[in-house]
Amino acid sequence: MNGALAVSRYTLLELSRRRILLVFFIIGALGIVALGVGLKVLYQVASSNPNNFGGASNVDAATFNRFLELLFVSYLFQALSVFALLIAFGIGMTAIYHDLESGAAVSIFSKPVSRFAFTIGKLAAAVAGLLVIAGVLAVEARLIMFLFGGGLESALTGELLAVVANAIVVMLIVLSLSTWMNNILAAIVAFIYYNVVTGVISTIHMLADGGVIGNNVVKNVFDVLYWLVPHQLVSSAIRDLAQAEIQLSGGAENNQALASIPSPSGAGDIAWWVFTVFVFAGLVYYAVRRRQV
Amino acid sequence: MATVVSVQSLRKRYRRRDPWAVDGVTFELEGGQAFGLLGPNGAGKSTVVKMIAGLLRPDSGSISLFGSDPGNPAARAELGFAPEDPDFPKFLRAPEVLDYFASLLGLDDDERKRRIPETLAFAGLESERRQVRQFSKGMKQRLGIAQAILGRPKLLILDEPTADLDPIGRRDVRALIERLKESGVAILLNSHLLSEVERVCDNVAILARGRVLKEGTMADVVPEGSNLEDVFVQLIEPNQPERDHLPSFISERP
Repeated sequence: MNGALAVSRYTLLELSRRRILLVFFIIGALGIVALGVGLKVLYQVASSNPNNFGGASNVDAATFNRFLELLFVSYLFQALSVFALLIAFGIGMTAIYHDLESGAAVSIFSKPVSRFAFTIGKLAAAVAGLLVIAGVLAVEARLIMFLFGGGLESALTGELLAVVANAIVVMLIVLSLSTWMNNILAAIVAFIYYNVVTGVISTIHMLADGGVIGNNVVKNVFDVLYWLVPHQLVSSAIRDLAQAEIQLSGGAENNQALASIPSPSGAGDIAWWVFTVFVFAGLVYYAVRRRQV
Repeated sequence: MATVVSVQSLRKRYRRRDPWAVDGVTFELEGGQAFGLLGPNGAGKSTVVKMIAGLLRPDSGSISLFGSDPGNPAARAELGFAPEDPDFPKFLRAPEVLDYFASLLGLDDDERKRRIPETLAFAGLESERRQVRQFSKGMKQRLGIAQAILGRPKLLILDEPTADLDPIGRRDVRALIERLKESGVAILLNSHLLSEVERVCDNVAILARGRVLKEGTMADVVPEGSNLEDVFVQLIEPNQPERDHLPSFISERP
């Protein structure tokens, strides 16, 4: 266990010194601040002119503030998702690959540490690194949300969990591929697999489930394929946000638009996520164990 | 002295179509003994030591390291390995690399505090503050030797340990080998510097194309009035492919 802790500790130290992660983090942090403060400034400018609200306009200041908050949270979710993915790729491409390719693994594996402990240490560091960076971005986002009065904090928490869970799967795919091939190629293959192949399969499966595709053969094929790929976890946040936007615009609660938003992941999807994580973590270990340095 | 490492009929090739990188190598090494593994480039020396260090799996044959399989982490607890062209996590500094490896060796805090500064001083890296990625090849080689001796090994494998070192560094490594030998540590030395091997090794094996051509004590291998270099050249040249020594354009006048 000491071996895994040492690997984990020094991998985290290395990750903290990698400029690419720092750059992603800084861009993410500045982007969230700029987005929140920019929208707030927009509100201040708009509310400073009494002609903008009331009178001819049917939008009051509170509604406009709420609209901006929803806009901010909507962009925020997208930003968190993009930056969590970038960071997952950044960590996945470097955490194990550089040790194996540089020859550092020769010195490490000649020490009394098992490949299992090495893998556990690397995976723990990679997940911890991702959690810390995503967590700090989320705390920053939460603080910015105070500017708007709040009310969507639980949505942020749910979305953050889903985003991090999905990023962990991507990171594990990149990690396992980068032990077999060049890390850039690993990132490209992982992107195609996770974002394109899995995305297409999930979408067609959803359409078939919703009765849009009537062909039973296609439906059955995609039922099988759906359970061969990772499932992206979906929080209730997107639906909550859409519902809030509809309410704000005075639309009906059971608006048709809501039906096109994927429903939050259930226990089956979460169990599949856990299974997927174990499978890809197992693949990382298998690759590290097989690797001759 | 007890047998530290025993290698029996070792064979290894990297791919099925490749020729054997190591083909039937057998030798034993006891505590306090220095064993030199010699051979031209591609002879299989590094492959042999990597198999002993548990980094590569042999295709056939057996290796016993302190009585266990080298794949077993516990068997490597008393092994120090300084690889050829060593490298380390590149964003760490020298003391951090040694602390990392000390943790892998299971050294407690007190031992780490004592050993790391002394080992850094031995390697001439005590005042080095840069990260490994900014190190020269020579500095990496010195750090490679430092991490290999950190755990006070009973078997020290040095794979081309002085290739990138300056004369002072070479002298220090020679002194280190002699001191460790006196204290009962077994040394396995891979080197092209035959004078160095002749000076510090008790036993040698000369390899070519993965096979042992000659093995024995230094006195057995090097007859009276000869030297190791002569023996090496006589043994190796007939096993090397014929080639013109210089490209023709070298002797052309501009």
